[in-house]
Amino acid sequence: MRLVPLLLQLERQAGPLRPQVLAALAAHGRPLRWAITAVQPPGRLQIEAVVLA
Amino acid sequence: MPTLLVVPTGIGCTIGGYAGDALPAARLLAAASGCLITHPNVMNGAALYWSDPRIHYVEGSSLDRFAAAEIGLRPVRRQRIGLLLDAGIEAELRARHLQVADGCRATLGLDIGPVEVTDAPLDVRLSLGASGVSWGELGRPEALLRAGRRLQAAGATAIAVVARFPDDPDSEALAAYRQGSGVDALAGAEAVISHLLSLELGLPCAHAPALSPLPLDPRLDPRAAGEELGYTFLACVLVGLSRAPDLIAGPSAADLSVGSVGAIVAPAAALGGAAVLACAERGIPVIAVDNPCLLAVSAAALELEVMPASSYSEAAGLLLALREGINPAALRRPLAALQVQAP
Repeated sequence: MRLVPLLLQLERQAGPLRPQVLAALAAHGRPLRWAITAVQPPGRLQIEAVVLA
Repeated sequence: MPTLLVVPTGIGCTIGGYAGDALPAARLLAAASGCLITHPNVMNGAALYWSDPRIHYVEGSSLDRFAAAEIGLRPVRRQRIGLLLDAGIEAELRARHLQVADGCRATLGLDIGPVEVTDAPLDVRLSLGASGVSWGELGRPEALLRAGRRLQAAGATAIAVVARFPDDPDSEALAAYRQGSGVDALAGAEAVISHLLSLELGLPCAHAPALSPLPLDPRLDPRAAGEELGYTFLACVLVGLSRAPDLIAGPSAADLSVGSVGAIVAPAAALGGAAVLACAERGIPVIAVDNPCLLAVSAAALELEVMPASSYSEAAGLLLALREGINPAALRRPLAALQVQAP
């Protein structure tokens, strides 16, 4: 088991945000802690996270 | 009216970014709502704490899962708190923590024990993210989980974990934090530790860092003063966990569930966390409080509908209005006349 820090950029799609973030994080591991830490218009989300890999 | 209060850890919030300095706001919101669910960053003032039966102490990742309807919360009269100590803590500092636990047993009547030491130092490292937010890493997560599982097997129903954090008494970041202008550099790693334990064991968990005492700083900000009163930050964790609700995977109708939550209160510039987004998805009112921090993740940026509040006092008024079934819009002027919708 390793804790892996992540910095992701995600283009926002229509619909709720949380499932979009979780889907993006799932590609890297099991999310342990995450947050959207910046939004660049029109819809690019910066996500910082730690995942279990 | 069950209400969630979130002040994210390690983002430098003006209120809640220091040593439990959102606690007065939490007490006010608990009085206004009658039932407040919040997390250790709000409640932990190191040697200072407040116990209120209306406030439910729920570790951050468990609070996120509660908001996502993955678990419910079951209030209890007491928890049996297992104490998990990092093998990296020196003998004298370990003794200080054991004495705090003994003090909480003798003076407050808390049920504490068993005690376990990890089979290897946890190797905590501090880091900042791209946004300047506090994060952190744990070199030996398996050692943490092994000790946690031993405590669970020995009957602990909640876990207080103390990890040795790196001392850096001369750092500019620490000086800024103590003087009220910086980010709590420890907070991110603390969150990772308690999230991991709680997620894997399904128990209420919270963390206190073990650090060497700091020299006196005559310019100390009052918001950071709670951490300068003793040798450890453990007392608040033990008190918080002593009546933390059980985490229930299949809640019954008698348990607290997100379906009964009437509002969530969060900093207006930090709305991009799991709990706020989960509540927003469910149509739970989001009260966005002006509480400046490092981030600028606002309702406008995320296209969320929120109730803005200029202070926690105003947020308390909004909660009271919601609790009493008063439309908050009726409290503002001008009040636009109703219009008949076009067919």
